[in-house]
Amino acid sequence: MEAPPVAVMPVTGGTINMMEYLLQGSVLDQALESLLHRLRGLCDNMEPETFTDHELVYLLKGQQGNPFILRARRSLSHPTSPWHLRYLGQPEVGDKSRHALVRNCVDVAASHSLPEFLNEMGFRMDHEFVANGHIFRKGAMKVVVSKLSRILVPGNTENTERLSLSCLVELSLLAPAGQDTASEEMRSFAEQLKPLVHLEKIDPSKQRH
Amino acid sequence: MSLMRSELHFSNVSFCSVCQVPVAEGKSVQHTVDVLHKKLEQMGSVKQGSFCVDCETYHATNVSGQPSKLLYVMHNSETPRSCMALYEGGPCIVADANFDVLMVKLKSHFQNAKGHKVECRGSRYRYCDFLIKVGTVTMSSSARGISVEVEYCPCVVPGDCWNLMKEFMQSFLGPSVPELPSVFATKPEGLFAQAEIVDTMTQYLELFNKLRKSQIPGSNVR
Repeated sequence: MEAPPVAVMPVTGGTINMMEYLLQGSVLDQALESLLHRLRGLCDNMEPETFTDHELVYLLKGQQGNPFILRARRSLSHPTSPWHLRYLGQPEVGDKSRHALVRNCVDVAASHSLPEFLNEMGFRMDHEFVANGHIFRKGAMKVVVSKLSRILVPGNTENTERLSLSCLVELSLLAPAGQDTASEEMRSFAEQLKPLVHLEKIDPSKQRH
Repeated sequence: MSLMRSELHFSNVSFCSVCQVPVAEGKSVQHTVDVLHKKLEQMGSVKQGSFCVDCETYHATNVSGQPSKLLYVMHNSETPRSCMALYEGGPCIVADANFDVLMVKLKSHFQNAKGHKVECRGSRYRYCDFLIKVGTVTMSSSARGISVEVEYCPCVVPGDCWNLMKEFMQSFLGPSVPELPSVFATKPEGLFAQAEIVDTMTQYLELFNKLRKSQIPGSNVR
């Protein structure tokens, strides 16, 4: 296995080296109800949880190299909740036999002045969208089924248009680096969702056009 | 994509005033701190542990030409799970401790000015509804000055308790009581806006920057 990246600077607080294990897939809207039904049966017994979020993707361009990307999310259904700022690293290459995409991940809860602050830091908003859907949990795993909509007038989350007639399905898990049993657990869970949805290891860097 | 719903609360805090206390002439920082402690104890204040406020300075590395604005990342032991990031006179955020991890990720864009780390440590006293923190401000392991923070716990509105606070501070700081902190005076909503944790941190930052610019008072510092 590739050695996990090591933070060279001392850190005052926070959790270093958290990795996100991810599998993705999609279902057509027509199949959504059967998938939700299946997930209700397979996942932990909890109150059904739905969400409507607004995500803004920010870029910080340096003199060289790829821009630094941060994702800022806020809940439209709970407007007083903190914003969620997320950094996602490049997917680890290395072990081909690993069943899930693995990437470094930093989650930060932040106050509502976040967009203004990111602007001051030099970040610029690249694109934004609205995601709404359902969340399920199974132990440490999380399943998010979401409909994505583009925002027609910048900043106006009321005026949106669906991106496609299918829903994004993501199975993810957060764990410290090196816990590869996680991807095994995810694979067997994903097996149980077939043939309703095929969750795969998708490298986002290969999807850019 | 995760949908983290954090338990963080960015609620208002009670009104705090932070000021610098000059080191007594011919005496050391420690001696002046001891005198303050003694005064507080004589008044009947009870020591309740210690506190720490720290500040890291970052500058943007990718801005060519004009000097970039400095980014300050601060922590306060009163809010141990939070991290405050500020631009002087500009926007600020309250985030959780993972913001420090994010700054490590951003190190190719924001460089940590290591020599600029400031720390303020000291004792915490309680006197009825007041919380008093006497701290020694250190920069690169040398003591640069003394801070006194007074918090009036029952009140979040500066305009409602500034006079009371001033009178209380006079009782142990003598005539050298500070003016109303400028962070409150310059708020567009005026003195009756609710105080926030960031207001306290702004006052510490102003104090740290003032001490950073001041000369090290030669033999007074030990």
